[in-house]
Amino acid sequence: MPWLEPFSLTGWAEAIQSVRTHRPNDSLTSRARLRLELEADFNVFYGFVSADAEKNWQIEDETGIDLQEAWLEYAADRWDLRIGRQIVIWGKADGVQIADIVSPPDYTESITRDLDEIRIPVDAAKLRLLGDFVNTELIWIPVFEPAVQPSGDNPWAVETDLPDNVHVTMADVDEPDTSMENSEIALKVAAYFSGLDVAASVFHTWDDNPAYHRTIRREGDTVFVDYAPRHHRLTVLGLEFSRPWSDFVFRGEAAYYIGKYHETNPTALDPIQRDLLKWLGGVDWTPGNDWTVIAQITGDIIMNHDARMADEAFETMATLSISKDLLNQTLTVSNMLYYDLNENGIYIRPKADYALTDAWHLMTGADIFSGDDGRFGGYRNNSQVWVKIKYSF
Amino acid sequence: MHKKFLKTTLCFLTLLTAVSLAQASDTTVPTGLEIMTRVDDRPDGDDRTQMLTMTLSNKSGRQRIREVKSYSKDFGKDKKSVMVFEKPADVRGTAFLSWEYDDPAREDDKWLYMPAMKKVRRISGASKNEYFMGSDFTYDDMGDRNVEEDSHTLLGEEVVDGHDCWKVESIPVDPEDMYTRKVIWVCKAADMAIKAEYYDKDGLLKTFKALDFRQQDGFWTQFKSEMDNVSRKHKTVMEIDSVKYNTGINDNLFRVSTIQRGNIR
Repeated sequence: MPWLEPFSLTGWAEAIQSVRTHRPNDSLTSRARLRLELEADFNVFYGFVSADAEKNWQIEDETGIDLQEAWLEYAADRWDLRIGRQIVIWGKADGVQIADIVSPPDYTESITRDLDEIRIPVDAAKLRLLGDFVNTELIWIPVFEPAVQPSGDNPWAVETDLPDNVHVTMADVDEPDTSMENSEIALKVAAYFSGLDVAASVFHTWDDNPAYHRTIRREGDTVFVDYAPRHHRLTVLGLEFSRPWSDFVFRGEAAYYIGKYHETNPTALDPIQRDLLKWLGGVDWTPGNDWTVIAQITGDIIMNHDARMADEAFETMATLSISKDLLNQTLTVSNMLYYDLNENGIYIRPKADYALTDAWHLMTGADIFSGDDGRFGGYRNNSQVWVKIKYSF
Repeated sequence: MHKKFLKTTLCFLTLLTAVSLAQASDTTVPTGLEIMTRVDDRPDGDDRTQMLTMTLSNKSGRQRIREVKSYSKDFGKDKKSVMVFEKPADVRGTAFLSWEYDDPAREDDKWLYMPAMKKVRRISGASKNEYFMGSDFTYDDMGDRNVEEDSHTLLGEEVVDGHDCWKVESIPVDPEDMYTRKVIWVCKAADMAIKAEYYDKDGLLKTFKALDFRQQDGFWTQFKSEMDNVSRKHKTVMEIDSVKYNTGINDNLFRVSTIQRGNIR
């Protein structure tokens, strides 16, 4: 039917099951998800809606139907405008977020989901002014969207060990109301020249994660800590570049967070506000024969560091990703390694993806954590192997 | 009278010599480089749009289908092109933008948009020897290769499927190239490679054959061809549909901001 021609419905269905490699060898990830994507192409006008239906046997709260994106776009020769619920992705990093903070992350399953699965859409208007080589992007986000952290019975929730004499109460998180003055505004200028991409950005936003402010009461030996989590304003300045040379692409990214609150070591102290610099340098190498190697080094630097902060003044992490296509590119074997240089923690993500047919993919892999502490060592008992089947249509 | 006769005869002989020389230059055998330069320079309009379908078959007969919508436009001697993957479904919407420069010393600029990542990524311009989407065609085979990257020798003339052809041997200048040599049959009437054999250090690697080529809108076009990978026992049939030349494609299509949208229009 001709009236149906502008519309197309696509999507995928997948099921994943994992087993913890440590005792009690139970399941950590067990879910099935259906994604539907509807596009409507009316030439200069274009609409997109995507929705997920999920059954999660491990984290019950995840079961249900979610609207992902729903936006309408108008494209002229020298500008375009996209309005609605949308995912905005910035940055040049691979598997790491530096300046890429417009769409907040969903860490329900920690970092075991691929980065493209953890972005939370934002209600926004995005205007782009399009030059031949330089684009200017202006984003207005009137509704605040916080990051999601694992909590409750979720096996990825981080437990804090407290002495027996410490009693904690947690108030509801104080989130900014929806109002003009609470809007988030982003401006980015990106240039794509022959042999060099560069971009600079400024984002007047809210911290996606709340600062855990607290009041302390002491009654005898007992300590009562009343937490009052609150989101704070942040201004983030970003810079990014990528430069190809022969079989290599060199990439860099930096973001300067003005007014970031940092968690403290003792439960007795309020979060401390200090500027933060996040940086990344990386190189992609494609030597041919379907090999891809990506190496990155990234770090956080807290300005005027205070010894009472939970994080160190300088934190550094290295990543190495190696991927090889085999069997006429029907089998992709890859591994991504994260190495936390401060805590000596390691996270390894080996994966094999086999195309049974054009539509069916069978995947298997593992999430292996090691170390004593820190962002990876804390999950050392959550190492898992998994198998996934995916049907795309 | 005698003088006049002599003058007329001299003029006639001069003219005859000039005509003979002109005819002789027409039949001069071109060099391998000249033939391959003519293939590279074959007129194909100022811009072109086409739908490419690749049917990949392995030794057990299992087939996979790749569909790519392709747009390209000349900017002087340089060329810009966009390929949008339509099939298979898991890579649908992937867009590949390249700015290819005539100057072999200048690296091409390439960007890839991946719908799952929702962002454009700069990719290396140098790896042209990789197979395109699991097919038996490398990026080079599909036309990215500069003539100067091989040394060409004319081996002779042969008839292929009724077409008079030049037979040319092309040896890569770079000793690290995936091929050690290629033998190419160029149709004289079309200035088009209609048969080729690719060799590596182990011998014959794959054979190419144009199965259907003819003129459309005045331009020679390959509508169907196959690449048989003898060593991998894998074959790709490439069919081209909806070919259009000189439609005046908007320059905007070849901007990074266009593929960044995730929908090419």
